[in-house]
Amino acid sequence: MASRAAQRRRLLRQALHEETLITQHIREGRFQRSLAVVAALASLMSGGEVAYEHYRGSYGQQIMYTPIILSAGLTATGVAAAFNRLIARRLLPLISLLVLVDGVVGFIFHVRGIARKPGGWRVPVNNMIMGPPVFAPLLFGLSGYLGLIASFLRRENDPAALEPIADRVPDIGLRQGRGLRAALPRLTREGLIFEHHVREGRFQRNIAAVAGISAFFSGCEAAYSHYQNGFQYRWLQSSPLLIAPLLTLTGIGSIWSRRLATTLLPVISALALSDGAMGTFFHARGVLRKPGGLRLPLYNLIYGPPLFAPMLLSASGFLGLLAALLRRPAHT
Amino acid sequence: MTSQNPAADHLLPVDPQSGSPLDPRRQPGYYPGFSTLDQRAFWDAATRQTVMDRVEQVPAIRFFDGGEAATMQAICNRILPQDDRDPERRIPVLNYLDNRLYSGMSDGYRYEDMPADGDAFRLGIQAIDEISVHLHAKRFTELEMAQQEEVLETIHDAHPPAGGNIWKRMPVDRFWLLLVQDIAAAYYAHPWSWDEIGFGGPAYPRGYVRLENGKAEPWEKDEQRYEWEPPPGARSGGYRPVGGGRPHHAPPGQSGTH
Amino acid sequence: MREPIFGRFDPPRSSDHLLGPVQRLKTPMRHYRESEEVDVCIVGVGSAGGVLLQRLSRAGLRVVGIESGPFWDVERDWVSDEAGSHKLYWNDLRITAGANPITLGENNSGHGVGGGSVHWAAFAPRFHPSDFHIYELDGVGVDWPFRYDVIRPYYEMLEREMPVAGPARFPWGYPHSYPYGPHPSAGVGDVLIKGCTKLGIPVVAGGPVAILSGSYGDRQHCIYRGFCIQGCKVGAKQSTLYSHVPDAVACGAEIRDRSMAARVNLRPDGLVSGVTYFDAAGNERHQRCKLVVISGYAIETPRLLLNSASPGHEKGLANSSDTVGRYLMVQAGNVILGRFPQLIRLYKGPPAHALTEEFYETDPRRDFARGFAVQTVGPLPIAFAKQMMVAKGAWGWGLRKVMMDYNHWATLGLLGELLPWADNRVTIAEERDGHGLPVAKVTYGLKENDKKLIEFGKRKVMEIMSAAGAEEVVQEARYAHLIGGARMGDDPDTSVVDRFGCSHDIPNLFCCDGSILPTQGSANPGLTIQSLAARTANYIIAQSDRLSQGLRGLPEEPPIRHDLSPPGTYQRGIPRIPWPARQS
Ligand SMILES: Cc1cc2nc3c(=O)[nH]c(=O)nc-3n(C[C@H](O)[C@H](O)[C@H](O)COP(=O)(O)OP(=O)(O)OC[C@H]3O[C@@H](n4cnc5c(N)ncnc54)[C@H](O)[C@@H]3O)c2cc1C
Ligand code: SF4
Repeated sequence: MASRAAQRRRLLRQALHEETLITQHIREGRFQRSLAVVAALASLMSGGEVAYEHYRGSYGQQIMYTPIILSAGLTATGVAAAFNRLIARRLLPLISLLVLVDGVVGFIFHVRGIARKPGGWRVPVNNMIMGPPVFAPLLFGLSGYLGLIASFLRRENDPAALEPIADRVPDIGLRQGRGLRAALPRLTREGLIFEHHVREGRFQRNIAAVAGISAFFSGCEAAYSHYQNGFQYRWLQSSPLLIAPLLTLTGIGSIWSRRLATTLLPVISALALSDGAMGTFFHARGVLRKPGGLRLPLYNLIYGPPLFAPMLLSASGFLGLLAALLRRPAHT
Repeated sequence: MTSQNPAADHLLPVDPQSGSPLDPRRQPGYYPGFSTLDQRAFWDAATRQTVMDRVEQVPAIRFFDGGEAATMQAICNRILPQDDRDPERRIPVLNYLDNRLYSGMSDGYRYEDMPADGDAFRLGIQAIDEISVHLHAKRFTELEMAQQEEVLETIHDAHPPAGGNIWKRMPVDRFWLLLVQDIAAAYYAHPWSWDEIGFGGPAYPRGYVRLENGKAEPWEKDEQRYEWEPPPGARSGGYRPVGGGRPHHAPPGQSGTH
Repeated sequence: MREPIFGRFDPPRSSDHLLGPVQRLKTPMRHYRESEEVDVCIVGVGSAGGVLLQRLSRAGLRVVGIESGPFWDVERDWVSDEAGSHKLYWNDLRITAGANPITLGENNSGHGVGGGSVHWAAFAPRFHPSDFHIYELDGVGVDWPFRYDVIRPYYEMLEREMPVAGPARFPWGYPHSYPYGPHPSAGVGDVLIKGCTKLGIPVVAGGPVAILSGSYGDRQHCIYRGFCIQGCKVGAKQSTLYSHVPDAVACGAEIRDRSMAARVNLRPDGLVSGVTYFDAAGNERHQRCKLVVISGYAIETPRLLLNSASPGHEKGLANSSDTVGRYLMVQAGNVILGRFPQLIRLYKGPPAHALTEEFYETDPRRDFARGFAVQTVGPLPIAFAKQMMVAKGAWGWGLRKVMMDYNHWATLGLLGELLPWADNRVTIAEERDGHGLPVAKVTYGLKENDKKLIEFGKRKVMEIMSAAGAEEVVQEARYAHLIGGARMGDDPDTSVVDRFGCSHDIPNLFCCDGSILPTQGSANPGLTIQSLAARTANYIIAQSDRLSQGLRGLPEEPPIRHDLSPPGTYQRGIPRIPWPARQS
């Protein structure tokens, strides 16, 4: 009995130690490997979703293959980045950036796709529901964003101390040149500062904002697809519509308020995370309940309630939690 | 107010519980307040034109002469009774039917043993009057509702007691299908009938978003059923096979589906 | 909301010839002089004619299509309304007769550029390999002059050109995948899926149907409005008007619309010299050409051949075997209607969107040869009222009452193979049309095997309907898909055209449309008709040197020509999954 209690205590202590260690790593921006893996997973999921969403759209244009290829690339790179620092520093940002750009291009194509449907944007509700999902490409870009951040981070086993920012950011020709020539180095410099903050784990505001924005997008998707379903399950189908805007507000609010970021943000994020999990469960149930059930697995998967969509809300929640653990830049 | 008398003095459908007649409505059917015409701004211009012309430019009677038109009107009233509709909301099926015959719009075929459509109608009207006289010694227009239905039922059953020389020129069951089909086609082409049965009407450029489980579009209405039965004494309320169940020409489907 | 943003939809402002909301005819049409001898004259720009016109003009031949109906501007001419779409059908007089006369009109052929493909439901399944030799296998009907492997590359090609949406694996016949993904199921499809699943019958959903489940160039994704049989204004449902005719016009083909071909003329040496037709104003005209292809549908093709009788061809052109007009076939097309306690709203979604071919092949346990398919159908109110008139014998108050339950009914279609018989045929009637041309008379009667098949098939579909939860099930007898009348075969004594569509009697006279099919299985014929048209076109192109000299083409299978597909065909859609063929 006693030994068992001791064992339990030891386990608990260990767990607590792990926990503080992880928290510390996050606070200090030393979690490149884990975030790379998270980015890889996110990319796998969103790639999977795009694959079947675009299958629904029959790959009517060749550009519809790009997100599939890129997400496969990002998944592979993310996993590789967990093992290899060089890949994490060099390849990961490149692929991630491509994914982000593809998300934006996709967004433009989807807006155009709706415009070309009969009635176009003059019957917006119909065509947004039945046409290409407008915000889905931006949500797809999220995994790219994660990969990009991961590439800036330090690895878990890096030394805790970081050389001061001034040493890393040479103040080159800030005042010389005009226009673009002037802007570029400044951009670069600001980029460098941002990167430094990330490496120090001081990018709470950024992640919180992204969590808020992505929650907004998935809230919109939920709104119109649940509207299509006529809110048959009133409370269940309304829940993301209540939680997503809250997360959006707190996430954006966290840009200004550290308080918000450490109090309300984690609570609402946890809510979003679990609502997404619940949604996934109910969507899976919905798929099984479609006529034909498992006898038409692929068909019911693509035309049943979308399995991955609630997971995207969960992903926003995850980002919010992450943000709560992070620090803010020292000089504010 | 329960009516004990089955041979009622009205032509209105009744509430099966109380047996009392249901007042005529602006829009019978289980979708009160549903109006396809209200959605017409969402239709494309060509469709709107076609449907609005149908509603607003009712063609005059030009094919049937006065007497024929009166009999034909009475026939239409029984083949597709509209007594449960407000008088100003009755669909002028006779006018549409007359217009089809007048303009020679054909379905693209004729049975070998049938006369041309227009002649078939003229002969049919004659035969119906002959049956009326045979059964009740009156013309069709002068009969009670139940008697009129009785006359038509003999044609539905392909067993007309009179008009033999006409039926030699025109198989009775083919005439029945022609008659019912044309009147039904006129009635169910009208947007008021779509409201009655809950059909969404034209749907271009805006299509549908709720495809499954019989869900209503945001602009459609949910069903609100009420119970009703045909007027007491009506014979057309039940369902019997065309030809009355006796062997006859098996009627093939009249409409394209696949 | 009572109005779209910016108010109601107005008529199109552009003066272009519009084919859907975005697609338009980009190039002005070329015009040939009548005195000019063109390479090919095609009578009827319908399902087969449209594909032929496109192929031949893309290969550089000078082609004129003579079409009795209009060259539709779909934004202006078509309506999203059942009664208003009457003009899409062949409404000229035909006589129907026989022991089981078939209803024609909206039940059958088309009129206007695109022909029957304008108003088809667009179910586009392939024939099974067994369909090509049912005499050998089952001792009924007749064998085709070639086997499945000859037509397979054309199926694959046309499935991309149309394109056909369908499941990733179509399990029956020769298993295959589709280049466009399946459509969502609507009320009726769900009923078929439920019923089949309950009975353990495999079923596929969302196709195969030639309706876009994704954009295709300037053609748009289906909006699930259910007016397919009224002509799809959206441009989602394939018709050759959308998929092939624009490319044909761009390649220099001419279409003379509202022009009714009256007869095919012969030169003194017995070869075809051209076509006499009545133009839109009713004037008689002649077009000279080196070769004629008749693609006028299973009724009009035999009618034109018979009406073209001339000295030396007293029984009609290409009719030395007395086969023209014979072996006319329909498919059993019974509609089974079931009433459900819950709402269905069968008018939503394309009528064609789920099917099973589990009963397609001959089953030795049944007492008849061949089989049937079960498909979704979606009658709009007028069609539904006519069905109720027959299926329930409804009229009067009964009709009004059952119609009020329109949204509670689901409808499934039987599609059963009926066999070819010599006395089911097209002949010439006494009556004449507006141009003074004798009209066609169609005689049809069922035989023993046909009746047994219909009886069994209809019971099976009723069973499926009940299994899906219908509380009342009724049915109406109906026939669908008229084909035959100028069948192909190797033997000139029993067929009208050879395996490439060239008439046995006259080397520069071809027939190519539904009329040349020797049998039609239990698959809707549209895909096969268009695939055969692509093959005949390839043949004419490959043999053009000989044919233009008046010589009979060599009996060689033409090469497959992917380069003659409309541009962009191979840049769209999903790669084909090479499912292994089943041993048969
Ligand atoms: C309601 C309905 C639903 C259908 N659904 C399906 C389906 O889901 N799947 C399927 O595969 N099939 C379906 N079909 C059948 C399909 O439409 C036809 O089999 C096919 O279109 C026949 O093609 P065709 O080339 O033989 O003739 P058509 O496409 O009819 O072409 C013939 C053309 O020739 C023209 N023409 C005829 N005679 C002359 C002349 N003398 N001079 C000038 N022009 C002339 C006509 O105007 C017409 O345009 C359906 C048919 C109907 C009626
Ligand atoms: S259901 Fe689709 S294919 Fe059919 S008419 Fe409507 S948009 Fe066209």
